[in-house]
Amino acid sequence: MEPRPLYIPVILGTTRMGRMSAHVAQLLMEEVSKQPGIETDLIDIAKVPLPTNDAGEAIRHADFSDKMNRADALVVVSPEYNHGYCGLLKHVLDSCLKEYIHKAVGIVGVSAGPFGGTRVIQNLLPVMRELGLVTIFWDVNFSTVQKAFDDNGKLLDDSYIRRIDKFLQELIWMAKTLRHGREQISLS
Amino acid sequence: MAGMAKEESKMICRRCGAEMNHHSDKIVYAADPEQAAPTELTLGGFMEEFHTCPKCGGGASRHN
Repeated sequence: MEPRPLYIPVILGTTRMGRMSAHVAQLLMEEVSKQPGIETDLIDIAKVPLPTNDAGEAIRHADFSDKMNRADALVVVSPEYNHGYCGLLKHVLDSCLKEYIHKAVGIVGVSAGPFGGTRVIQNLLPVMRELGLVTIFWDVNFSTVQKAFDDNGKLLDDSYIRRIDKFLQELIWMAKTLRHGREQISLS
Repeated sequence: MAGMAKEESKMICRRCGAEMNHHSDKIVYAADPEQAAPTELTLGGFMEEFHTCPKCGGGASRHN
């Protein structure tokens, strides 16, 4: 029997108009989809209709929850705003919990400046840990993102492809390992 | 009995009916008065168990 394909969706973690991270998320989704045995989706948090007068699992959205439940790993694309992440990314992530436990996550930082979202990645790590996700030690950093793509979203610097490939190889290894653990290795 | 593993009832996958694997526990601290009473007195919260189906990969959780 063929093994079930891994499911690794890409989360676009900003709702800001004109967001350059959309190009990054699209690129990541295309690169994930090239990997054999992997299925993916692009999840735009701007299209996850959560209320803002409550928070947490009480406002879980069925479609987002189903995708997180199905996922073996996540790619989170996050721009850096004032050294932090988009508040609505946290709002969406906080709407689930059991769906994340013992699943892998890789973070792609995006910034208009020279540091490639390194500070937002550092700020997201403890959040991911508390959600039960397992972070990998590869990141992808898009610096001066406004120069990395043309107006149509075409990547202008091919060196990113090699970095993304290494990032995905590590993420896929972790996803396979954690799936085996979730399904086969008991806590006690 | 000392040294004997705690027995637990297996969760059954709602999608495919297979026995699920209990792979994680997480302590949850609740502000809601109905949930706030700790069931794990030494840990100060209640324990949530996480289970995954080895057949279809579906996940589920339950409070201990």
